Amino acid sequence: MSSLTKTLILAATLVTVSVQAADIKVGVAEALSGGAAQYGVPIRNGFQLAADEINAKGGINGNKIQLVIEDEQGKKEEAINVFKKLIFQDKVLMIFGPTLSNSMFAAGPVANASKTVAFGTSNTANGITDIGPYIFRNSVMESDVLPITVATAVKHYHIKKVAVMYGNDDAFTKSGYDVFKKVLADQNIPVTTTETYVKGDVDFKAQLTKIKAGNPDAIICSALAEEAANIMLQARSLGIKAPFIGGNGFNSPKLFEISKQAGDGTFVGSPWSNDNPSSANVNFVNAYKKKYNAEPNQFAAQGYDALYIAAAALKTVKLSGNLEADRQALRDALPKVTINGATGAFKFRPAVTKDGKPGGFDADQKPFIYILQNSKFNLFTGKN
Amino acid sequence: MEWLANFWATYSTLIYSIGVYALVALSIWLTLACGLLSLANAAFMGIGAYVSALLSLQAGWPFWAVLVAAGLAPAGVALIIGIPTLRLSGVYLAMATLAFGEVVRIIILNLEITGGPEGLNGIPQSTRGWHIVAILGLAVYGLARMRRSRTGRAFEAIREDEVAASLMGIDVKRHKLFAFVLGAVLAGVAGGLNAHATFFISPREYGFENAVDILTMVVFGGIGGLVGPMVGAGILTLLPELLRFLHEFRGIFNGLVLILVVLFLPKGIWEPRRIRALFGLGPKEG
Amino acid sequence: MLPQQLLNALTLGSVYALFALGFTLMFGVLGVINLSHGAVFMVGSYAALFFVNHFHLPLWLALLSAMAISGCLGLLIDVLILKPLRARNAPHLIPMIATIGVAITLSSAAQGIFGAEIMRFPEGTIPTGEFTFGDVHVRAIEIGIVAISLAVMAILFTALRRTQVGRALRAIAESPKSAALLGINVEGLFRATAFIAGALGGAAGVLIGLDFNAITPLMGQPILHKGIAVIILGGMGDIRGSLIAGLFLGFAEVMSKAYLSSQMGDAVAFGMLFLILLVRPSGLFGRVLERKA
Repeated sequence: MSSLTKTLILAATLVTVSVQAADIKVGVAEALSGGAAQYGVPIRNGFQLAADEINAKGGINGNKIQLVIEDEQGKKEEAINVFKKLIFQDKVLMIFGPTLSNSMFAAGPVANASKTVAFGTSNTANGITDIGPYIFRNSVMESDVLPITVATAVKHYHIKKVAVMYGNDDAFTKSGYDVFKKVLADQNIPVTTTETYVKGDVDFKAQLTKIKAGNPDAIICSALAEEAANIMLQARSLGIKAPFIGGNGFNSPKLFEISKQAGDGTFVGSPWSNDNPSSANVNFVNAYKKKYNAEPNQFAAQGYDALYIAAAALKTVKLSGNLEADRQALRDALPKVTINGATGAFKFRPAVTKDGKPGGFDADQKPFIYILQNSKFNLFTGKN
Repeated sequence: MEWLANFWATYSTLIYSIGVYALVALSIWLTLACGLLSLANAAFMGIGAYVSALLSLQAGWPFWAVLVAAGLAPAGVALIIGIPTLRLSGVYLAMATLAFGEVVRIIILNLEITGGPEGLNGIPQSTRGWHIVAILGLAVYGLARMRRSRTGRAFEAIREDEVAASLMGIDVKRHKLFAFVLGAVLAGVAGGLNAHATFFISPREYGFENAVDILTMVVFGGIGGLVGPMVGAGILTLLPELLRFLHEFRGIFNGLVLILVVLFLPKGIWEPRRIRALFGLGPKEG
Repeated sequence: MLPQQLLNALTLGSVYALFALGFTLMFGVLGVINLSHGAVFMVGSYAALFFVNHFHLPLWLALLSAMAISGCLGLLIDVLILKPLRARNAPHLIPMIATIGVAITLSSAAQGIFGAEIMRFPEGTIPTGEFTFGDVHVRAIEIGIVAISLAVMAILFTALRRTQVGRALRAIAESPKSAALLGINVEGLFRATAFIAGALGGAAGVLIGLDFNAITPLMGQPILHKGIAVIILGGMGDIRGSLIAGLFLGFAEVMSKAYLSSQMGDAVAFGMLFLILLVRPSGLFGRVLERKA
C-alpha cells in the first residue's frame, strides 16, 4: 500500500515542480514494474535524490531540473514507446535509462536517430555504445573490473583451478560470464567445469555436486545477488568450502543479508561501495537513507552520479530554447565532464566501435576490490 | 499537422505492434477454426524473427526476400513436426505444442549464431506502416475467401465433429496439416515484421508467456470470425498503455478484465449481433 | 558424486510430484487445466511467511493456516469462476484462459503488496539440521519434503480407492452427468476438490519456499511449467502417475545436468514431454481420459 502513497507523493511533487517557469526537462525511463523493477526503482530514487539536491541549491544557472519519469517495464517495446513519448511529446532535453541492456539495444537507436542523448546508468553489456554517438553510460563494464578482481583473488588464495557457474538465459549474467571466460584464458587458469542455471531456478544442487567433484580452489560465479546467495548457501550445505569470486551482480547488500557466513571470503569488484569514505559518498548514503528509509545500492549511486554528470555538462551550456540546438549542445558538452561522485572519480572514454564509426561514451573508472568478511564488504588491502 | 507528426512519431511503434499481433492472432484463429488448439505459434513467430534477422544482418538479403524466408522457415518446421503431432487431440495437442515451443526457445538461447540470451541487435529498421497494412489486408482477404470455400467448410466440419467429417470423405489429416502450416507462415511473417521494427530480438519474447498471451488475444476478441482476433490483439496490446496511470497495479486490472470477459462475454468482445443490438438495429440473420 | 546426485534427484522429484498433485486432481475431477495453480502455490508461500512474521506462529501451524488460506482461494476460484463456466458448458479452453486471468491478477497483486524482491522466512524458522553420510549431505528440510510428499500421496491415493467419497470422485472423473444421476452431489464434490487442490498447492508452496528459501510473486511460473510436464507424463488426472512422473522428471533433469550439460536441463523436460506424447498420446502411465460430457 505504501508504494501507492509514494506514487501519489511523486505525482504531487512533479506537479509542483512543473509550475516553475524555466525548467530543464530530463526524461527518466526505468523499469518500475515487473521483474527488473528491483533495479529500476533504486535507480529512480537516485535520480530523484540528486534532482532534489540540485534544485534545493538553486538549480543549474538558475533553472530547475524537472524529471519526467516513465515506467518501461523492462520490456523492449515499452522502452521504445517510452523513449518516443519522451523525445517527441514531452520534448525532454535528454533521457536517462532504460534499465536493462536489452532495452537499450532496442530504444537506444531511437534516441540516436533523433539526435538526443540516451544515458544508461545500469547497462553493462558490450556493444551498448556502438549504437551511436548519442549513447552514454556511467555504468562500468565488466571487462574493466573482472581482470582485477580475478587477479587479486588468485594471488590471495593461491588459486590453481576454478569452477564456473552462471545464468545462461539472462543477458547480464551471460555477458558477465563471457568476460570471465576471457579473463581466465588470459590469466591461464584452468576451469574444472562450467555450469549454468536459468532465471527462476532455486535448486542448484545438481550443478554444485558436479562442481564439488572437480575440487576447485574457487568458484567463479556470474549471477544476480539473490541467486548468488542461494548458490552459496546450497554449496556450503553440500560441503563445498571453496571461496566465490563474483561479478557486478554481487554488488548488493542482499548478498550477505541472505548468505550470512556462507559468503565469507568472496571477492568482488565494484565501482561503488557503501563504505567508501569520500565525502560525496557519505553525503549520498546518508541522504538516501534519510529520504527512502532504505540502504542505497550501486544502482542508486550510479543514477545519482549520472544526474550530477549531466548537471555539470549543463552548467557549461547556454540554453537557447531551440530544442534541437540545445540537445546537440548538451551532447557536445557531456564528454568533457569529470566529477567526484558517490562512485568516486569519474570521466568518460570514447568507445571504439567494431566498424570504426564514431561510437558513444563509456565510463572510465577504477573499481574497488572488496572481500566479504563477517557478513560485510571490506575494502581489500592485501592485509585482510 | 505538427500535432499529428508528433503523435505518429510517438505511437508508431505501438501501432506497428497492434498490426503484428493482429497477424499472429489470425494465425491462431486459423488453427482454432480447424479445431486445433496449438500453442506453437509464439515459437513459429520466433523462428520467423530469427531467420529474417539473421538473413538481414549476415547475408544482407533485401527486405522482401527476408520476409518470404520468415514465412517459409517456420512452415518447413511446422510440416515436419505437424505430421506426428497432429494425431493428438485437445489438451494433449496444446501441451505437445507448448513443449515444442519451449524446446525452440531453449535452442535459440544456447546457440552462438542467435546471440544467446543477449539476442540480436542492430537489425535494420525496414518495416514500414504500409507493409503491415498490406500484409494484414492480404491475410484477411485470403482467409475470408477461404472461409467461404470448400476448404473453409471442411475446416468447420472437422471442428464440429472429426469422425463425421472423415465419414463425409474429408481428408482430415491433410486439412489439419494445411491449417497448421499456414498458421506457421502467418506467425513467421509477423515475427519478421516485428524484428525489423524494433532493432532487437531476444529469446524471451517467444516463450510460454507469449504463447499464452496470443491465445488470450483471440479468445478475448472472439473466435467466431476474423474481426474478433484482431480486435482482441488491438485491445490487449493497448491496454497496458491505457492503464499506465495505475502503475504497479495495472497487472491486477489486466487479469480482472480477462476473467470478466471470459465470464460475461462468452463469444468474446467482438460479437456483431450484440453490437447491432446495442445500437438498436435488432438481430439480423447471417 | 552419484549417491549425492540420486539424493538431489529424489528431493527435486518429490517437489515436482507434490506440486503436481493438486494440479492433477483438478484435472481429474473438474476436467480443468488450472493454470492458476502456480499462483495459488505462491499465495500459500506468502501466507505462511505472513503468519510467521506477524503472528509468530510455529512452523507447523503456519503451514496449516497457509493451507487453509490457499484452500479457500481454490474454493473461491471454483465458485466464482469455474462454476458459472460449467453451468453454461463452456469448451475446455475457456476455463483454462479464465485461470490465466486469475494467475495474472494474483501475481500482480502480490507484487503490488509485497514488492518484486525475494522474501525469506526469518532466521530460526527453518529446521537447520544436517546429516552427513560419508560424502553425502542431506538437510532435515529435504527429508521433511520427501516424507510429506509421499505421505500426502499415500493418504490421497487410499482415500480415492477405499472411501465412499473417493468412489464418488472416481465416478465423477468418468462422467459427471452419470454421477449426478446416481445421486452423487457433484457440485459439492467439485467444491471439496477445489479446496483440497488449493490446500495441496499451498502446502507445496510453503515447503518449497522453506527448502529454497526464496519467495517471489513469480515463483509459481517455472514450477507450473514443470507441473504441466509432470501431469501429462503421468497421465492427466492420475495420482499415482503424477508421483512416478514427478520423480522421473526430477531424475531426468538432475542426471542430464550431472552427466550431460546443465544448459540442457529444461530442454530435457520439454523435449521428453514432446517425444513421449508422440509415442504415447496419453502420457507415460495414462489412459486417454475422454470425458463423456
